[in-house]
Amino acid sequence: MGVITVDHLRKTYRRVLAVDDLSFDVEAGEIFGILGPNGAGKTTTVECVQGLRRPDGGTIRVLGLDPATQAAQLRQRIGSQLQDSSLPGRLRVAESIGLFAAFAHHPVDCGELLARWRLDDQRAQAFDALSGGQRQRLFIALAFVNSPEVVFLDELTTGLDPQARRATWELIREIRQGGTTVVLVTHFMDEAEYLCDRVAVVDRGRVVALDTPQRLIDALGLPSVVRFTTAEADLGWLEKLDAVESMARHREAVEIRGSGPVLALVASELVAHGIVPLDLRVQRPTVEDAFLALTGRDVRG
Amino acid sequence: MRGYLAMTRNEFRLFRREPFSVVFVLAFPLMMMMLLAAVFGNKQADAGKIQNGMLIWRGVTPANYYTAASVAVIVAALGLMTLPITLASYRQRGILRRFRASSVSAPTLVSAQLTLALATFVGGTLVMAVVARLAYHAMLPRDILGVAVALLAGTAAFGAIGLLLATVIRTSRSAQGIGLMLFFALWLISGTAPPRAVLPAGLRDIGSLLPLTHLVTAVQNAWFGLGWAGADLAILAAYALIIGIPALWLFRWD
Repeated sequence: MGVITVDHLRKTYRRVLAVDDLSFDVEAGEIFGILGPNGAGKTTTVECVQGLRRPDGGTIRVLGLDPATQAAQLRQRIGSQLQDSSLPGRLRVAESIGLFAAFAHHPVDCGELLARWRLDDQRAQAFDALSGGQRQRLFIALAFVNSPEVVFLDELTTGLDPQARRATWELIREIRQGGTTVVLVTHFMDEAEYLCDRVAVVDRGRVVALDTPQRLIDALGLPSVVRFTTAEADLGWLEKLDAVESMARHREAVEIRGSGPVLALVASELVAHGIVPLDLRVQRPTVEDAFLALTGRDVRG
Repeated sequence: MRGYLAMTRNEFRLFRREPFSVVFVLAFPLMMMMLLAAVFGNKQADAGKIQNGMLIWRGVTPANYYTAASVAVIVAALGLMTLPITLASYRQRGILRRFRASSVSAPTLVSAQLTLALATFVGGTLVMAVVARLAYHAMLPRDILGVAVALLAGTAAFGAIGLLLATVIRTSRSAQGIGLMLFFALWLISGTAPPRAVLPAGLRDIGSLLPLTHLVTAVQNAWFGLGWAGADLAILAAYALIIGIPALWLFRWD
């Protein structure tokens, strides 16, 4: 039995269909990614799951509770980092943590929370005076203030600089080690690939694929790309390899698309022909490639 | 309870950092009391004047009349303007979403706002009484408990109205516009600007349906020592319940 079960979820706004027959399960202790283009229904889905919106159809269970009718109980056990939220401008960082802790049945230690999310130096700073990254960290910290069993992070690292992003990823992994289930809504492919145990790709209100990032890529049989440079003019023999699908050449630069162990086969063949390029490298398909193949459009499209 | 206390402390803190947010709410009634009392004076001879079969100044001097009435105006201004503007801007900026996701309930949020409002009324009433005393030698409230009860009933009624406005109105800008318009409409026909006795019968009839009229009567009765205005207090309580409960029910977080 999963921590979260979503079954045939449906939600329309006025007459616009946001979520259409969407189903997935999240297991205890995993980092579950919801990936999709803007407007795919990701945020609507997690808002329904958190009891912030009422679905039009389907059933949702989170920790055995129905978010539509048991939202108050549920909110004590989940943490939310919301998109497009804010705090009163003059409220200070430590005060806001204290305020939200007062509503938690099992609040965490505020000082520890501030230290963990590197907000120590901003303690006395007003919300209005925080940078985008600091606000983001504060919202993530607020999601953990009630010692949640499941935490929902919507656009986790938007607005963070590269270092803060890495640091945040490490902290999320650490939190998972502690047994917390994490639901991550993102349109960053590298984030999904790095963090998520499983990913649901959502498009036009439906789950179009759901698997581990690696299996998602493998299942699509997307080509790897092998690149190297050589002065050798005739490479026709490489195209005869089973693993090679196509070869393109631009002056000395060679680009081979293929599947399976294409790199190893190409490499051994090259060596056999006495060619040992220094820059032989392979680019394996990424979640981004899988995403493009599945949704047929750009992430931000 | 812990949540209510934390939220209330929070609202007081924010108020302390931005005290001018209520300057209109306090300054306008005070200014109007000063001006109207200056216009109509503080002559005992006016106390018994009658028009349309009513005591124009409820049996006291105009300065006394406006001192008590203006205390009621503070309550109306806070309920019709400050409360809906604050809540609408909280909603617009996603602060309500944040609160809700962290188990803050609408009653908790509203009670914290109203607690701050009550504290503002206490402060505003004191200032009003002292200024009127110094400037016009007006009377101090005869029945302080009665004034407190009237303010409490007024807070409940106007708190409910403010909450309903905050629910119906989407943005803080429209809350400002609509709040201001309602406020001045009420102010003009509830006996807080021209006394009700001089109003045409039609306006007087409309006024007698409006909550500010009853709040004025309730505050004045206690202030002048005329005994508690039971019927007016009951009407204010009815306003609080009939508007407040559906408003809480309909309250929108985003």
